Amino acid sequence: MSGTLTPAAAREARRAVLRASLPPLRAFAPALALGVLASGSAVALLATSAWLIARSAEQPPILFLGFAIVGVRAFALGRAVFRYLERLVAHDAAFRALSTLRVSVFRRLLPVAPDGLRGVRRGDLLTALVRDVDALQDLPLRVLQPLVTAFIVAMLSVVGVWWVSPAAGLALLVGLLATCAVAVAVLQGVSRDADLRIAPLRALLADAVLEYLTRWETLRAFGADEQRRAHVVELDAQLRRAQSRQSAAAGSVAALFTLGAGATLLVTLLATEPALVAVALTGPQLVMLVLVPLAVLEVVAAVPSALSAWWRVRASADRIAQVVPDTVPAAVPVPPADPAALPTGALTLSLRGVAARWPGEARHAITGVDLELGPGDRLVVEGSSGAGKTTLAHVLVRFLEHEGEYLLGGVDVHTLHPDEVRRNVVLCEQSPHLFDDSIRQNLLFAHDTATDDDLLSVLDRVGLGEWCRARGGLDAPVGERGRLVSGGEAQRIALARALLTDAPVLVLDEPTANVDPDRAESLLEQLLGAATSPDRAVLVISHTPVPDRLVTARLHLRAPE
Amino acid sequence: MHTLSIIAFCWFAAQSIAGVVDGVAVAQLGMPIIATAVSIVVRALTQALLDALAVQGAARVKSQLRARVIAAVDAGGSALLGSTSSARVATLLGQGLDAMDGYIGRYLPQLILTAVATPIVVGVLLFADLATGITVILTLPLIPVFMVLIGLSTRAVQRQQWQLLGSLAQGFLEVVQGLSTLMVFGRQHRQIDRIAAVTEEYRRRTMRVLRLSFLSGFALELAASLSVALVAVSIGIRLIDGEIALALGLFVLVLVPEAYLPLRQVGAQFHAASEGIAAGQDALDLLDTAPASAPAAEADSGATRAESVALIAGASSQSIGPVSGQPTGLAAIQDRSRPVVHASASTAPRPTVGVIPALAVHDLTVRRGDRIVVDGLSGAWMPGTVLAVTGPSGAGKSSLLGALLGLVEHDGVVELSGSPVPPAARAARIAWAGQRPELTGGPLDEVVALGSVAPDPERVTTSLRWAGVDDVPRGTVLGAAGDGLSGGQAQRVALARAHYRAISRDCRIVLVDEPTSALDAASEQRVIAGLRELADGGRLIIVVTHRRAVMASADAVLVVSGTASSLAEGGPVAAVALTTPKVAR
Repeated sequence: MSGTLTPAAAREARRAVLRASLPPLRAFAPALALGVLASGSAVALLATSAWLIARSAEQPPILFLGFAIVGVRAFALGRAVFRYLERLVAHDAAFRALSTLRVSVFRRLLPVAPDGLRGVRRGDLLTALVRDVDALQDLPLRVLQPLVTAFIVAMLSVVGVWWVSPAAGLALLVGLLATCAVAVAVLQGVSRDADLRIAPLRALLADAVLEYLTRWETLRAFGADEQRRAHVVELDAQLRRAQSRQSAAAGSVAALFTLGAGATLLVTLLATEPALVAVALTGPQLVMLVLVPLAVLEVVAAVPSALSAWWRVRASADRIAQVVPDTVPAAVPVPPADPAALPTGALTLSLRGVAARWPGEARHAITGVDLELGPGDRLVVEGSSGAGKTTLAHVLVRFLEHEGEYLLGGVDVHTLHPDEVRRNVVLCEQSPHLFDDSIRQNLLFAHDTATDDDLLSVLDRVGLGEWCRARGGLDAPVGERGRLVSGGEAQRIALARALLTDAPVLVLDEPTANVDPDRAESLLEQLLGAATSPDRAVLVISHTPVPDRLVTARLHLRAPE
Repeated sequence: MHTLSIIAFCWFAAQSIAGVVDGVAVAQLGMPIIATAVSIVVRALTQALLDALAVQGAARVKSQLRARVIAAVDAGGSALLGSTSSARVATLLGQGLDAMDGYIGRYLPQLILTAVATPIVVGVLLFADLATGITVILTLPLIPVFMVLIGLSTRAVQRQQWQLLGSLAQGFLEVVQGLSTLMVFGRQHRQIDRIAAVTEEYRRRTMRVLRLSFLSGFALELAASLSVALVAVSIGIRLIDGEIALALGLFVLVLVPEAYLPLRQVGAQFHAASEGIAAGQDALDLLDTAPASAPAAEADSGATRAESVALIAGASSQSIGPVSGQPTGLAAIQDRSRPVVHASASTAPRPTVGVIPALAVHDLTVRRGDRIVVDGLSGAWMPGTVLAVTGPSGAGKSSLLGALLGLVEHDGVVELSGSPVPPAARAARIAWAGQRPELTGGPLDEVVALGSVAPDPERVTTSLRWAGVDDVPRGTVLGAAGDGLSGGQAQRVALARAHYRAISRDCRIVLVDEPTSALDAASEQRVIAGLRELADGGRLIIVVTHRRAVMASADAVLVVSGTASSLAEGGPVAAVALTTPKVAR
């Protein structure tokens, strides 16, 4: 299967995806600096206030404390201000990276789309892909930022404490390392497993609930409703167990940091006491050294959540690398180095012994297809489901590579740029995508110099003139994924789009697939009526019978043995 | 307990440190040091427990809500579920309830903890050092006040931006989903610039919102850290004057941040919380609109119900910021615009002396909401008959089948093989294939043998062959809700499923709704022959269809006419003139 990669290649592919999602250091450095300043201020605030109080206890003249008082106030202000700025700058940088990331994934998508994407025939894959791309913005924001900040602040604190008292510095370093090591081990051992199980369980439960709700009548009719409800309850219980496990792990990690902070405090106290006795250390210094670990461990407590964010980001990067191959599969056409051009105007399309298969599949979906399609022809392609009708449509618009001969206007399509072929052979897809925009925009993107009159007249031709006026004209929205239009209307809009391009060859793929059966024939009749022109060749794919009077020729496809 | 351990920790730690500073030997400080260690451990343990319990509580509440909504759906039946609404309900039960994690799992416990912990800590502070306690009491209310002020001023901006942000966030998704359409029109290349532009716009607008949203965090942080500074300086000055002891000063210094911490965390959880409140509200609304015909479900979980309502009401009254519970409910679902249709049945059953009709109905009336879709249908049909039912879309054909099956409420009597059978007992004796395949997920064998405990592989083979399913490999595992098959394949598998049931449970009646709508002519002929074969086995076949070939093959045709309006597709629906029953072979 082409769906699996070798581990080394998978790692390399993941690294490439991750690299693309990192903002340039230049853009991210200010955020990091501010993060260090904010967390550093928090540590310094506690340190100076501790010193201040301890020193005051020795009742020196207040003048000697002026510096510390100012410091306390400055660090208090600084902590809040730096934190605010840090969040702003970091988010800004992450959003900027998102833009680069989206563009880079899209660029990677273009040469292989649509048919070269692995597993693209599974419906919601693209939605998942987009979600994964957006999840990658967590990499700078929730992984690197906290990790780097925590590391720098922790190291600076250790160095600072060491400088005052090596013993205390050592205690802090050991405390930090020990706490982090145990926390990471707990996370690795308990939470990561649960983490990885929760997402699939959640998806399973959602599927089971959706199935139960949408199939309720069927399940009742077949007496299977109780069994399915028990299944939902069981999945629910499993998910709950996994979540409890995860939360227990998260809770114990948080507790660990509290424990670590307390322990470090005690150890530091015991370790510095001899120095105090030996008068190598003043009382205020000791108080400061002992309390600093509390603040440092609070900063470092961000490490566990950064780690689980990292695991999530890595899983997303893996999925992207998996779905979007970085090499174009053999079954997807590649533009020639020196593409030829086609003459404008009517064209004849001819196939001789054409065979094709989907990427990653050994079996041909079609073999030995011959057809001849000239201006004015209307050819219907019939065949049972699985006979390769959609495969043929994708070959015609060069979404899929083929064997055999495919000539367009007498020119071998291999010498043409796929875009050039698609300028001349326009496909009305089975489920045309309608963009969440106005009717006008949904038509214009096919032919952006068309005037409103052009648009209205083409809508009239496909039988949508009245419909469009009833909705208040071209500015009416079509809704997200065409939610506001019916299956038949979507097909008409798709045809209107295709007609606007004035392409000499039109391919209609199952225009009645999403239409009530009793309306299929009249829709087919209207669509073919609108598409017919002496200069245009039309190929329509249909599983419902097409009356003879609507077409000039028939081709019956049969699945290859 | 947790709060007390925090206080104890601060107290003993301060004692130990002050002791050391004052030159007491470590050996003599055993008590405070051990006490510090103990309080650290207790604090860590209680913290872990608190976290774990909170999330478990959230999971439990979610499970209960999920179970109750499903119970409500069961009780409300198909009247509650429209095809459009079920997706919404499912989303609500999935992602919607997950959004409640933040609310029930973190926000509420934090709120409770704040309500308990803050007064205790403040009380201790007051007792330990009056001046500090007063400082904290004065500054603490500033936090919610700040948050409300900032919340009010940002809410308007956020609302304005939200819609726009939503659509900008969708921009990339749209481009990727519509990629093949874009490629068809050669527009894919210019999308690169568009993606960059849309994302840049998204960044600009989001940052504008975030600048304001982060202000509330800024206010919290500032209030908390300035208070620490204030307390530290005032203690320092009083220490100089010798008013208080070092140990007390340290204790207060370490404890002060703990007074602010819970409230700060409430603020931090608030965003997640408001999302969860909306989801919880949705689920409760759904339960509210569930029909009163669900007394059993209502009774056994009434307690949970009251609890959840109280939780949500409790949160609303906190008035820390916007609480948005969308009034959604099921009003839209129940308001289905089904055309009013009268069934004008005019079918004469074949009078076959000495044989009991497989199905007889007397005065069958079906209502959808307030509308009558089947009006007083009577008739009787013999085993071995194929009865075609036809009529325009929305005329009530599927409702008729639903009523016969006992899934749709109706008036009138339905007799199976001569004796009246109540609705609930009918489905067990009737095999049915609905208009949509409505397949379930799982291995093909289980899908076909739905409702039987152990699928019989040989029977499955027979049924698959009968329905002409020769292009789906036997080992196929279907995705959720039968994903992974083409429309034609799904339809034939659904037919095989009905066949399996008819054979394995020996159902005398087989109802099929539009069995050939997605099939080509050859497959259609195969289905027609299959239906005849089933009828010849002594069954009554009722087939809803628009196909002429299917009608022509039937022994009788029942025309359901109505005032069906053909909305979007234009053109009147072809009238069918086959009202006279064809004479059987």
